[in-house]
Amino acid sequence: MSDFKIGIRETSNVNVIDLKGYLDAHTAPELEDAFQKLVAERKYKIIVNCKDLSYISSAGLGVFMAFIEDVRNNQGDIKLSNMSSKVFNVFDLLGFPLLYEITKTEAEAIGKFMSSKK
Amino acid sequence: MSRPIDVKPFRSRVKKAFFLITSAILLFAVFLTDIIRRSVDIDAGWITFLRNVVVIAAFVLLYFLIEGLWRRDQNPAQKLGFLLVVSIVIGTAIALLSFFPSSGFDVKNYLLIPLGFDSIVMANIIGAVLGTLMLVMLLSLRDIIFSRRRKGTRRNFLIFVGCAAATALSTLSARPMETSFLSSLLLGLTVVAMLMNTFRLSWIVYLSKREKLFSMLYGFLLFGILVGFDYMVWSKTAPGKSLLFYSPPLQSFVSVVFLFSTIYFGMTFLSTLFHLPTAEAFDRKISEVASLHNLGRLVTQVFDFNELVDSVTRMTLEVCQAQSSWLEIIKEQNPRKALNEAVGTASAGEQVEPVGLKNISREEILGIVSSKDGSLRDLVLETLRPVVINDAGNDKRTAHLRNAKRKFESMVIVPLLSHNRAIGILYATKGMPFGFDQEDVDVISAFADQATIAIENSRLIEKSLERERLMREIMVAQEMQKKLLPQKLPVIPGVEIEALSSPAFEVGGDYYDFVQLDEHHLGIIVGDVSGKGVSAAFYMAEMKGIFQSLSKIHPSPRDFLAQAHSALSATIDKRSFISVIYTVLDLRDGTMTVARAGHCPMLHVSEGEAVFIKPIGLGLGMGTPSFFEQTVEQERIQMSHGDVAILFTDGITEARPSGGEEFGYERLLEIGKSSGKHSAVEIRDAIIMAVDRHMNHQSPEDDLTLVVIKWLRS
Repeated sequence: MSDFKIGIRETSNVNVIDLKGYLDAHTAPELEDAFQKLVAERKYKIIVNCKDLSYISSAGLGVFMAFIEDVRNNQGDIKLSNMSSKVFNVFDLLGFPLLYEITKTEAEAIGKFMSSKK
Repeated sequence: MSRPIDVKPFRSRVKKAFFLITSAILLFAVFLTDIIRRSVDIDAGWITFLRNVVVIAAFVLLYFLIEGLWRRDQNPAQKLGFLLVVSIVIGTAIALLSFFPSSGFDVKNYLLIPLGFDSIVMANIIGAVLGTLMLVMLLSLRDIIFSRRRKGTRRNFLIFVGCAAATALSTLSARPMETSFLSSLLLGLTVVAMLMNTFRLSWIVYLSKREKLFSMLYGFLLFGILVGFDYMVWSKTAPGKSLLFYSPPLQSFVSVVFLFSTIYFGMTFLSTLFHLPTAEAFDRKISEVASLHNLGRLVTQVFDFNELVDSVTRMTLEVCQAQSSWLEIIKEQNPRKALNEAVGTASAGEQVEPVGLKNISREEILGIVSSKDGSLRDLVLETLRPVVINDAGNDKRTAHLRNAKRKFESMVIVPLLSHNRAIGILYATKGMPFGFDQEDVDVISAFADQATIAIENSRLIEKSLERERLMREIMVAQEMQKKLLPQKLPVIPGVEIEALSSPAFEVGGDYYDFVQLDEHHLGIIVGDVSGKGVSAAFYMAEMKGIFQSLSKIHPSPRDFLAQAHSALSATIDKRSFISVIYTVLDLRDGTMTVARAGHCPMLHVSEGEAVFIKPIGLGLGMGTPSFFEQTVEQERIQMSHGDVAILFTDGITEARPSGGEEFGYERLLEIGKSSGKHSAVEIRDAIIMAVDRHMNHQSPEDDLTLVVIKWLRS
């Protein structure tokens, strides 16, 4: 039931987490580990690419909320990109667009990181 | 030859009295007859015959009497001792009697004629006494031979008794001093029967060493005494002649029994002599088996952990006469356990705890087991095999103790293995070197295995009880949570209100509630706590409290939500949130003011059109309270006659059968659009059934909540 894969890569000075599959209570710990790892390495510029994310539950949403404060306190951010309309709807209902930058493409998100450097 | 237990003691006493009195009378009658015949010379053959029969009858009765008084609970060694005492007493008595000058007997025509009244008296006394001794000896032999019965034991013994009886009875046809061919033949058969029984000596094997020693002594002494008796009875000594005169059948039977006893007790002596070298080892083995049995029973009976480990070390001490013993339990990884409870760390950083200490202290253990180069404990845990130290002074593994003061010289260390993992270690020490032989190590290992089972058992039961307790707690929580949801729906003329909430598990995170703000305003709230289970239920309860108290103080939905957000932010943890939609219905004109905090939108159906009402608002617990207040919106809609408002949780829209797609907002919208003339109940049921059909009747994975409001006023 819970098919989920997570990948971390670095590009243009930011770290991208690629999500694939179902992010629910079973698989949320994997996302948690990924954030944990990046924070431990003091990498606070994070983009979560949701291109292949098919579903997210409240447990998955909770993981973002757990790390955002720490990341932002270190002059970083968690930006979200490439969401399908269905997944975007879930984030939107909760009001995530008010708190997080959600872009259509990864490039846009990288751009936002660049421009905020100034 | 065993009698059933007499349950009527009075009857048995009467029986015994009967036997005693009757046999006494018979014997006395015989005595009288002898006296009379000496005085009056009646020589009728039939009197002699009758007299002999009476003697036989008397002793048969005596047999029953003695059997009735017979003790059955003694072990063979004790029986031998008893018999020895009786034999010595009677033997001494007869020896003393024979010092008295006696007139003796004359032999005429193969008949014995008493030469004086004293001969008669002597004969009667000796007859009675030797006859009694014979009965006691016969019963003793029976019990000893039967103590380790096998299939043919009883048969063989009865054959012997039968042959002996036949031999005795055959003397009735002849005269006392005459040797008849028949008697000799029967005697020969009897001797064969004797030999058939002589080898029933297996009872000796199972005696304890002490009992074996006593049996050997008693056997030897009885053999000696019986040789004396044999000489007395078989050769024509004075007592022998007295007995022959008294009753030839009795004399025959007595001499056969004495002969048998001589042979049997002689064999007893020899056999116990040959069993002595192995007696000690045998005792040890029996004791080991008993200990293992006891420990095995412990496994099924004792569930208290402390009692269990105490018994294990105590039994270890007992079974190999160890000086001290203790058990180390390797704790299951539990970081919350206080460090000062552990004595030391085993390899891989596991904590060990010594328990069941016998004759040793924790400090001493620490000194013995650990050293700079790694500990004895590590050695056992690495190899998972027993470690035996025969000479602590010269063993390189105990080099650290060589110069220290130590109480032990040899030690056995055995791991407790369960699924190839060590759950503990059993230690035993002795004050002398080479104190443990391979047998000891084997037994201690067997103990360790039993202890492992017992300990695992005890742990499993603890876990099981704990789980049961938790289950009960959850059931209680479920009952309490049911009471948090509205027990009855508001009844308002012209407004149909229906609701349903079903949790996916025992306790859920969905919530809905109503509050009458004042005469004209009804507040309706639907919420969903993120996450599942008991923690979600707790937040739900908190939400209800906040709702019931703050909604009246802040009648505007967005104000209320802002207050609720502020209140919850204090307690909710940062990765949790509560999504809520709150609407206030004005009963006078049907206006609904709606505010939403991260929750599913409200569906408003009006004249065949359906639209989702979705004012902006963060989930409760997300962002700061001030940011929430800045961003939360409020919308107002107008309910006309026949309009329907549906509030729900994502359990409806996200309902997905395995391998299928979500129920989705579209389907909900469609049902709403076609609700038209249906009542609130019908609409509610239609949605629920549609979801159930969509799920192929599989049970939903998320809590389901639905509130349907139909406005029928103008």
